[in-house]
Amino acid sequence: MQGNTKKMGVMTDVHRRFLQLLMTHGVLEECDIKRLQKHCYKVHDCNATIEKLEDFINNINSVLESLYIEIKKGVTEDDGRPIYALVNLATTSISKMASDFAENELDLFRKALELIIDSDTGFASSTNILNLVDQLKGKKMRKKEAEHVLQKFVQNKWLIEKEGEFTLHGRAILEMDQYIRETYPDAVKVCNICRGLLIQGQSCETCGIRMHLPCVAKYFQASSEPHCPHCNDYWPHEVPEVFNPEKERETGLSRSNKRSSRSRQH
Amino acid sequence: MSEQSKDVCDPNFAAEASISEAQSSPGVPGDPSPPGSQAATLSEPESPPLSPPDAPLVSLPPQGPGEEGDPKALQQAAEEGRAHQAPSTTQLSPAPPAPAQLVQKAHELMWYVLVKDQKRMIIWFPDMVKDVIGSYKKWCRSILRRTSLILARVFGLHLRLTSLHTMEFSLVKALEPEELDRVALSNRMPMTGLLLMILSLIYVKGRGARESAVWNVLRILGLRPWKKHSTFGDVRKLITEEFVQQNYLKYQRVPHVEPPEYEFFWGSRASREITKMQIMEFLARVFKKNPQAWPSRYREALEEARALREAHPTAHCPRNSFSED
Repeated sequence: MQGNTKKMGVMTDVHRRFLQLLMTHGVLEECDIKRLQKHCYKVHDCNATIEKLEDFINNINSVLESLYIEIKKGVTEDDGRPIYALVNLATTSISKMASDFAENELDLFRKALELIIDSDTGFASSTNILNLVDQLKGKKMRKKEAEHVLQKFVQNKWLIEKEGEFTLHGRAILEMDQYIRETYPDAVKVCNICRGLLIQGQSCETCGIRMHLPCVAKYFQASSEPHCPHCNDYWPHEVPEVFNPEKERETGLSRSNKRSSRSRQH
Repeated sequence: MSEQSKDVCDPNFAAEASISEAQSSPGVPGDPSPPGSQAATLSEPESPPLSPPDAPLVSLPPQGPGEEGDPKALQQAAEEGRAHQAPSTTQLSPAPPAPAQLVQKAHELMWYVLVKDQKRMIIWFPDMVKDVIGSYKKWCRSILRRTSLILARVFGLHLRLTSLHTMEFSLVKALEPEELDRVALSNRMPMTGLLLMILSLIYVKGRGARESAVWNVLRILGLRPWKKHSTFGDVRKLITEEFVQQNYLKYQRVPHVEPPEYEFFWGSRASREITKMQIMEFLARVFKKNPQAWPSRYREALEEARALREAHPTAHCPRNSFSED
C-alpha cells in the first residue's frame, strides 16, 4: 500500500505544535512564524538544527495535502509584509467564517466584500456599507449593530479599517482568493506583475493596468524614472519602499516602547 | 487498549472517557501498540446507530504522537474506513456512502473543529451534526473517529468530549500539559494579556475580584468601561460577556449587596488551560519582582506544578513558558 503514496513528509511533535499554534493565531507574519518555529524546536527537539523555513513548511504541506489544507504564504497589500495562514483548499465559499457569524452578519460581510471589489480604491466607506443593512438576509440588523459587527470583522482580521473605510485584510485575501475569483469574475482586479488578486494598489492612468504596492516597490526599485510596464507611459505615483524585515524590527521595538514602560503589553 | 473496543453505549461512555484519558500519555515516544492492532481494537461490534441526542458516541483516539509513520497513519485511516463498510451494510438500510465520502466528511469535520477552537467557541455535538455531518448522521461515529485520528496524528490535538451532559467537545493539546504557547510570540494576541491581568488579580486576592477592583487594575492599561479601545473594542462587553462565554471567567452577582455589585472568578477553561506557575511568572514580569514576593501564592503554584508533573511524567527539554525568543 505504501507504494501508492507520493513521497510525504514526516510529522513530529515540532511540526504538530507549529500547526496548532499557527491555527490558533489564524494568520502570522513572517517574523512571528520564524519565532514560532524556533519555539517549537526548543520545546521538543532542542538539539536539532532548525530547518529552513521554506523547507519546513513544504514538509508540513506535503502531509496536509491529503487533507486538502495548506499553509499558504501571502503578502500584505499595503506594506508588503509576508504573512502565513492555514487555509482550507476544499471549500470555495467563505465557510471559515460561516461557523462564527450569524446569517445576517455573513451577509453583511458579503455586501462589504462586493463594495470593496467594485470600488476603484479597494476601500468601501462605512456609510455605504451601513446603508445596505436593510437588504441583509436573516434577522433584521440595525445600523448600530452593524457597526459592531464590522468591528468584529476587523478584530478577527477579515477587514482592515482606515479612516472610516474598510478593505480586505491580507488574511481574507489569502483565504478567499478562490472564492472571490469565482464569485466576481468580471469585477475582480489582478496585479499586472504577480497576477495575484488585487484589492489595493496603484494603476496606470493611461492604460489602466494595476499593480500591488509591494510589486510596484520591487519592480521600480532600481529605476529613477519609473515607466508603466504595459504602455511605457510615465508612472505617476510615488514608488513605495521595498519591505525590509531588518528595518522593521527596529521600528517595531520603538513602537512597542511607546506604551507604558512599567507593564509590558502581552 | 482493549478497553476502547468495549464501545459506546451511554452508561459506559463516561467510564470509557476517563479510561482513555488516563491512557493517553502525551509526548511519550515509541507508542507500544503498532498501527495494525489499533485498527483491530477500534472496530466495534455493531450496535444499532442511535440518534444524536441519545448518543454522543466517540471512542477517543489511541495516543500515538511519537509515531513517525504519518503517511502510514492516514493510509491506515483510509483502510480502516474500507474495513468498516462491510459490517455496517448488513444492519443499515440506506446505502452506505463510499469510503471517500466519509473521508471527505472527516476532513470537513476536522476543519470545522479547528476553526471553532480557533475562535474559542464551544464545539457542540448537535452543531457538528447539523453543520457538517448532515445526512451522514448514521456514520457519525466513524467520521468522528477518523477526525480524531487525523487531529491527533497531524496536529497533536485531542478531540475530547468534555461534558456528556451538554455534549460539548473541546480540543486539548495532547503534546504536553497545557502550556501558554502564545506567550512564545512576544506580540501576541492582546486579549491574552488582558485576560491574564484579570486572572492574576483574582488569583492573588485568593477569592473573587469585585468589578471595581478589576477596573482599577485595567485603568493602569488605560482601559475604561465607557471608552471604546482601538484593539479591544468594548472592553466591558469583552470581559463580562465574551470571556465568560468562552469559560475563561465567571461573572456573578455578589450576594446580599445593594446596590447590586458583581465579581469575577476563574472560569473552568482558565483552570484547565492556565497554570498557577504561569500566573506567577506573568506577575513577576509585569511587576518586575521575584515570584516569591507573593509567598503563599507561589507555594500554591509550586504544589500545582508538582501535581501536574506527577500526572504527566515526560522527559523534555526545560519548558520556558515565557521564552523571550
